[in-house]
This record gives sequence, C-alpha cells and structure tokens, in this order.
Amino acid sequence: MAYKVIRPPESAVQSLYVPAVVDGLGITMRKFFRNAFGRRKDTATLEYVGTPETTMPYPLRHRGLHRLTQREDGSPRCVACLCCSTACPAQCIFIEPGEYPEDDPRHGWERYPVRFVIDEMRCIFCGYCVEACPCDAIRMDSGLHAPPVVKRSDLIFEKERLLSMPGRDGKHLHKNPRPDPPDPESYSLHDGARPPLVDRGASGRDGAGT
Amino acid sequence: MPTVTIDAKQYEAQAGETIIRVAERNGIDIPSYCWHPALSVAANCRMCLVEVEKQPKLQPACQWAIADGMVVHTRSPKVLEARRAVMEFLLLNHPVDCPICDQAGECKLQDYWYEHDGKASRLVGEKVHKPKAERLGPLVVYDAERCIRCTRCVRFCTEIAKDPVLAVGNRGNHAEIILDQGRKLDHAYSMMTAHICPVGALTTTDFRFQARVWMLESTPTICPGCATGCNAWIDQTRGVAKRMRPRDNPEVNDFWMCDDGCLTYKRVEEDRVLCAAVGRGAARKETSVAAALTEAARAIGQVPAAVVAAVLGSEHTSEDNFVLVKLARDLLQKGTGALYLTGRPPGEADDLLRHADKNPNTVGAVQAAAPSTLRGFEDLLNDADAGSVKAAIVLGAHAPVPEAELAPLGKLDVLVVLCANRGPLSELATHVLPAASWAEVSGTFVNAKGQRQRLRPAAPPRGDSLPAWDLLGRLARKMDLALEYKTLGEVERAATPAQVTA
Repeated sequence: MAYKVIRPPESAVQSLYVPAVVDGLGITMRKFFRNAFGRRKDTATLEYVGTPETTMPYPLRHRGLHRLTQREDGSPRCVACLCCSTACPAQCIFIEPGEYPEDDPRHGWERYPVRFVIDEMRCIFCGYCVEACPCDAIRMDSGLHAPPVVKRSDLIFEKERLLSMPGRDGKHLHKNPRPDPPDPESYSLHDGARPPLVDRGASGRDGAGT
Repeated sequence: MPTVTIDAKQYEAQAGETIIRVAERNGIDIPSYCWHPALSVAANCRMCLVEVEKQPKLQPACQWAIADGMVVHTRSPKVLEARRAVMEFLLLNHPVDCPICDQAGECKLQDYWYEHDGKASRLVGEKVHKPKAERLGPLVVYDAERCIRCTRCVRFCTEIAKDPVLAVGNRGNHAEIILDQGRKLDHAYSMMTAHICPVGALTTTDFRFQARVWMLESTPTICPGCATGCNAWIDQTRGVAKRMRPRDNPEVNDFWMCDDGCLTYKRVEEDRVLCAAVGRGAARKETSVAAALTEAARAIGQVPAAVVAAVLGSEHTSEDNFVLVKLARDLLQKGTGALYLTGRPPGEADDLLRHADKNPNTVGAVQAAAPSTLRGFEDLLNDADAGSVKAAIVLGAHAPVPEAELAPLGKLDVLVVLCANRGPLSELATHVLPAASWAEVSGTFVNAKGQRQRLRPAAPPRGDSLPAWDLLGRLARKMDLALEYKTLGEVERAATPAQVTA
C-alpha cells in the first residue's frame, strides 16, 4: 500500500538547491582557508602522524586486550571464582579451577585457575569481566587491541600469556587491598606470626585425630 | 484439634507440634539454619525467632510447641529486627569468601542476608581466624571460618547415620566442629553432612571447585546404586554431570542418600561404551550400530533358537527387560529357551538406606519375565559349560560372580552384550552394543520394596548409544521377528501397567 508523504512546501528558490549548495561550499571554503593559512591555535584538525609505526594514543580508559594481574610472588591474583565467565555475554572465558597442592602455603586458602583461557576473537570488549572480578585479577588496561593474526588459535590466550602482559604502567600488580596469605602484610595482622589457619589446618588439632 | 493463629490466619495443628512445622505445612516461610525436619531440635541459630502473644520474649519457632488459641506473628517489626540482628551476629566472623565458596548460590547466609539484613558489617578489627579446608574424611572438607555451628552435621551423624563422629569443640567465637579422637568422618553417609550444611562450611571433595551452582541444571532421577532406589537430583553443567544429591521422598529415601549413591553419577561418563564392536579379544573391531546389529542377527540366526539364552539385566529398566523377554521368549525361542538374570555383585548393606543388592531394578526384571521364572547367573555358567546354551543376549555388562568364574562364557558361539558401561561381560562378548545409561533414558525402576519409580532422561544418549529397548527392537527387525514396538509408549502400554510412585 502506498503512502502519501507530506512534505513542507518549498519556494521556487529553495527547490533550485543552488543557493544552498553555494552556501555550504562557502562554509567549507572559509574553514579551509582559515586552517590552511590562518595558523589559528584552535584548529580542529590534528596533524596526521604519518607512518604506520606510530599509532594514535588510546584514551586512558580504553578497553584493550585482557591481562591477569599478579601477586607479589608472580602467581595469578585470580581465585578462579568464575564470576567473569558468568558475567561474560560472549562466553569467551574458560576457567578450570583447582586447588593449590598440599605443600603450597596457599593450600586450603584459595582456589586458583589451573587453566584460564580467553578467546579474544569472541570477546566483545564490554568490560563486564573486569566489573565482575572481586579481586582486581582481570583487567583490560594493557593498551593493546587484538592484533591481526595468521592463525585463529593465536588469538586464544592462555593463562601464561595473559599473566605476562603488563598494564600500561608496565607493572603486573593489582590494587586489591586484601593481603594474600604469603604476602608480608597478611602476617602483620597476626602480630607478625603466621596466621594460625595455615599451619593448623595441615597438622591437625587436639581431638582431630590426625 | 488445637487451632493456632499465625499472621492473623487460623491453622489446624496437632497437639505437641512446633510452630515451624505448622508454618511449613501451610507455606509460611520462617527462616532457619539449624532446624531440619528429620533432625532433633537444637534451637541454636536463633533465626526462627517469632513473636508469640503473651510471651515476654521472642521464641524459637522450631522449639516452641503450639497450644490451642496461640497467636503467632512471624513478620512483626520486633521479629524482623531480631532476624536482622541474628544475621549480623552470624556473619560477624564470616569470611565472606563467596566467590570461592562452593555453596554460593544455594547458601542460606546469602539468601537470608538479602532478605533480612542487607547491611555491611560493623565489625571493627580482625575477624576470628580458624582452620580452613580441613579434611574431615575422604569425602568431606571443613572450613571452620564459614561455619555457623548450627550442629546439623553433628546431629545427622548421631541421629541418622548412628555414628557420632562429629562434635562441637571450643566455645563462643572459637567454637568449631571437631572429629572424635582418632576418627575420620568416613561412615557411609558422610556426604550428607555437606548436603545438609546450610552454609559453605562442609563441602565434598568430589564437587569442590567443579562448578558454580547457578550453572547447574537439575533433573530428577533415581539412584542406580542399589535396590533402594533413592530419589535424586542429577546436576549437570553443559551436559556434564557434576553431582547427584537426594530428592526428598518420605516413601523411599526420606531426605538422604549414601555416599556411593551420590557418586553413581560418574557412571554417565566413566567406562562408557560409546560405539558398537564386533569380535572377541584381539579380533574385536569397532563398527557402526547398524553393522553390529546385522552381524549379531546373522550370528544368532546360525544357532538353533533353543540354545539361545536371554539374560535379563537388573541394571536396566523394566521396559528394556520386557522387550528382551518378548524378543527371546515369545518370538525366538517360542517357550523353549531359558531366561537368566545378571547384574552387579552384591555389596554392603545397612538398615538405613543401603541395600545388599547393588542393582536398581532386580524386582522389575523379575516382574518383566513373569510368568516365567528367571534362572540365576550360575545356572547360565553351568548351561554354557554343558553346551545347552550356545548363544546369549545379555542386558548389562556386569556379572554377580567373580571374573575368574566367567570362563564358560568364552565357549559361547555368540554373546551379544547391550551395555552402557564396560564390564567383565562386555570383555567376553562377541558383539557389544552401546546402550544409553540410566540417566539418558525414560523408563521405570522397581526397587526392593516393589515401588515403581519413573526415570526421566537428563541428557541425550552419549556417543552412538541408544536405549536398550530400541536396540533390541532393531535387532528383532534384523532377525525378521515381528516385534511390534517402535516407541517407548508402545512398550509401556504392553508392559504390565502399574502405579508409578515418584
């Protein structure tokens, strides 16, 4: 079914369009000559850097490739809680949680990611994983965007690669205020002694029969 | 009959009943941690405090017996404030490590905090620290920091499992669950302590870190572990079974399941027969189901029908067994051959739930064969040894006798085994056909008490496997036998209709 489109009435001069074109070109030319010869300080155009090696600086809050932050001993801050993979709308994060071995000082405290894989091709860079993380373990402040690759598998990042990427400040540390078990501050809470939960859990107590 | 008024509505109650039971029966939610319908009353969590008129103080609904004309308020400002205060108190030393806690998502602390508290902790200073991830037994891990000392686990071990291995040690802030001297939490129902733990203090080594509960999809099922037929939920994430937990049914298993039963979900994945195979020993070759069926039909056709034995499986559903009986007795042997029964070997039993018969459907298999009587597995071995049985169609790969005694089956010309999991019989078989596991089929199990219970598929059959009744129907068609069942509905209508309880 056809619709009748109601248009505002146009005068004869308007329907010629020539005056409007001249008008618009006038603005273009005025700006052009001002930018080209005027040397005004508030010129809106930026100088093109020129070579492919130099890139535009990304804004500070740019969401780039993910990275995993490290504890002071270099182990992942991540506790494999799966909050990020739950929040992820693209379902691009795979985590296999595990437990630290018996002889590790962190055994019994926390879980850790045995595997942590992000499919950067599937990621939509929404940043929900960073929002969801309770430990500041995953960040998108690497300042990098997904590079062109030859093989698809090159964009499926494993834990080691994610851990190796520093932030834009070149550091791997996180801003989680909570002290980690092997970190010196966590002992200071207990007057410098080892927290009782670490050594009591393994050796048993009276009545524990171990 | 006494009448009690709860939140301005009158309810009938029985003399001596507690407020929380009347409320629960009538759909009124009274929050509680330590109260469990099957356990004795501890009244130590104080979450169920309600206002009873003419009482100066709030009273625990789990302990307070009703009286005629009693007026109870469960949502008065005084009660709500008490609940908020109790929540704050219970969470005072709680580590709030929900992201790494397996209970998160089904934790009463989380639920009730949202519902009744919702405020940040006012604690100044360090929380009390206690042992974490302590192994109480082979299957249970204890985190004392998360524990609220509701003593459900203690009461379960003492009252239900009859093995008082847990107790509360220390006092006040430092109270924690401890083991009896020189003992471990290793009785047959240890995983139930983790199941009834309202918080994340007790977790199972089996499910620990395996999945977040919000990823799990629950399907009702029946435990295939023994002839008790406990009702259960099988929880899966992305099609992979992660745990099994009891489904309340006062007629069968009440609220409980044994540890072995909870771990039977592993049979969905472990030792699965995923494709058909033809041949014995080194000559065995994997092939398609259709090719194996053709080969099996040809092989059975070469021996006289009178020496073909049908071996019913007590691990398989009544429908599977019914179709095998139809195929073998009525169409192939025409009353000449014998029916036998196989299944897993018997195991430990107790007077709570565990049955010595470790097969879920022995009674169902016997019923499916009626009016014929089933002969035992030893008879099959004797007949095979004597040569009166030359071929056999077997449901299930397990035998109730030790593997060393199975040698006579090697003499059989044809041994067609339909099984979900590998076992001693599938090793000896000439034709192995992949059957769907119990978690992948519809059907019925009849437990030792004679209760017929419905099975529902929790997942599609793995690999090439098909329900055993379907495989048998296809085999019959290859053998040019007029087995008329093409759908499970037709099988069910043909099998004796009986009441399904669950």
